[in-house]
Amino acid sequence: MGKDVFEITVNALKLVVIFLMIVQSVPILVWLERRGSAFIQNRLGPNRVGPLGLMQLLADAVKFLTKENFVPDSAKPFLYYAAPVFALIPGAVAFMAIPLSTPIQVGTFEMFGQSWGPYTFLFQGYDIGVGIVFILGVSSLAAYTLLMAGWGSGNKYSLMGALRASAQTISYELALGLSIVGVILLFGTFNLTDMIHAQTGPLTFAMFGHTISSNYLPNWGIFYQPLGALIFFTTTFAESNRLPFDLAEGEAELVAGFHTEYGGFKFNMFFIGEYAHMMIASGLMVLFYFGGYQIPYVSVAQVQDWATTVTSTPGWASGLTALIHFLSFSIKFAVFLWIFIWVRWTLPRFRYDQLMDLGWKTMLPWALANTILTAAAIYIASL
Amino acid sequence: MADVFLFWFLAVVLLVSGLGVVLMSNPIYSALSLAMTMVTVSMLFVTLSAYFIAGVQLIVYAGAVMVLFVMVIMLFDLKGELASFSRGKFTGAVKIASVGLLAGLVVGAIKETISSGLFVTNTTNNPIVGSGMETTKQIGTILFTKYVFGFEALGVLLLVIAIGSVALARSKGGTHAKH
Repeated sequence: MGKDVFEITVNALKLVVIFLMIVQSVPILVWLERRGSAFIQNRLGPNRVGPLGLMQLLADAVKFLTKENFVPDSAKPFLYYAAPVFALIPGAVAFMAIPLSTPIQVGTFEMFGQSWGPYTFLFQGYDIGVGIVFILGVSSLAAYTLLMAGWGSGNKYSLMGALRASAQTISYELALGLSIVGVILLFGTFNLTDMIHAQTGPLTFAMFGHTISSNYLPNWGIFYQPLGALIFFTTTFAESNRLPFDLAEGEAELVAGFHTEYGGFKFNMFFIGEYAHMMIASGLMVLFYFGGYQIPYVSVAQVQDWATTVTSTPGWASGLTALIHFLSFSIKFAVFLWIFIWVRWTLPRFRYDQLMDLGWKTMLPWALANTILTAAAIYIASL
Repeated sequence: MADVFLFWFLAVVLLVSGLGVVLMSNPIYSALSLAMTMVTVSMLFVTLSAYFIAGVQLIVYAGAVMVLFVMVIMLFDLKGELASFSRGKFTGAVKIASVGLLAGLVVGAIKETISSGLFVTNTTNNPIVGSGMETTKQIGTILFTKYVFGFEALGVLLLVIAIGSVALARSKGGTHAKH
């Protein structure tokens, strides 16, 4: 956590702030989703409460919080209450491991009659050496939430929804994991920050002793792993149970799937969990294939140099650099979140056999082929 | 200080959830306790700085194997099996026999560890492992050089199991089976 009280406090506060970031961006995303769907379907959407309908979400939150708290008669109360709490954990814990910007350097300063040493604060919850493996592992625990909710509700529609959802999650996790293997092979690391560093500069291919460099394309993972990126992005839709993969809550067949019996704040927590999965997917997409927090054509060092001329101390300069890169990350991040919403209101839902065929007979072989091709290309390039 | 606290906290959680696996009469709670045990074991691997093993433990055991267990138990109504396991002379005899076996195992394990001096923790001999990538590389190198036969044999075994279960399911009519 840190070497003294100040560092430990800041690092602990960081965890809280990032968790609040996830929770607080959900209302904005819901607003975007409702207005976006209205725009796509040629409607108006929520536009009465507050400017552009922005206050509608505040009203919804109050409504969620003040609803009656109830447990169905046939439910298992422990599991019924535990499921929504567990819904938030995998998403939040996995998102903390994603680096959102460059680290902030704090120089020595005086406080409480004591001098505090120089610190480096990472712009993420915590840095784990095996970042990808950790994120995959933690987010694979999300299936328990669905099963606990479905079985704990004591309702057959809930159980059916939960079984469908978890079967789908497990099936697509294989293709998801395999599509990331290409990225790991390419960058030769599990560490997410190292991956971002590997994507600096202009696009450069080195093979058979020749080096081809592009003048206008950045060195992003998407140009090396287009198929992997496509498979990864598609499987994350299935992982977060969103259309066109939201078989879990096929409302014509299952009422509302695993959260049929949930209302009020408990339902809201499932909702936040789903959006947290969406955010992890978008964050990883930016990180693996779109250069992370880096700005195309401008290196981190150039931004740092500019920031030093504008600000007085190196500490403020690194803070400004981090802020600029965080803005860059946020823009890329928002684009992918918008694609999630866009796809939801464009594509219809799959049938269950189509879903399984796509997962096992299409995605998995293509992801395997991508892995083998990448390994072969890296081996040939290293000759 | 933080390490000691983490170890004892995780150890207590691990033991409680491990006991839950055997003491819960409902198979679903039992399976969920086993999942909790898996997660706690992976956290203990993190405190030993074996990050890759911790991640794999989470993905494979907690995230895939146990999810399938829980799913299957929830899918089938296990009331008949539950009743047959809670009464009857034969079941009672099996229970007493397994309690005896377990007690013998525990006593034997404790005696063995005391005599071989394993209770003395030796941290000086423990090589400090570096970042995640290095240990992963070491694991990969060992797996594909020293233990390559066992590794490949396990792969073949799993393939046999997968094909065998598909063949068994199909011989009974697969998804269109009539009872």
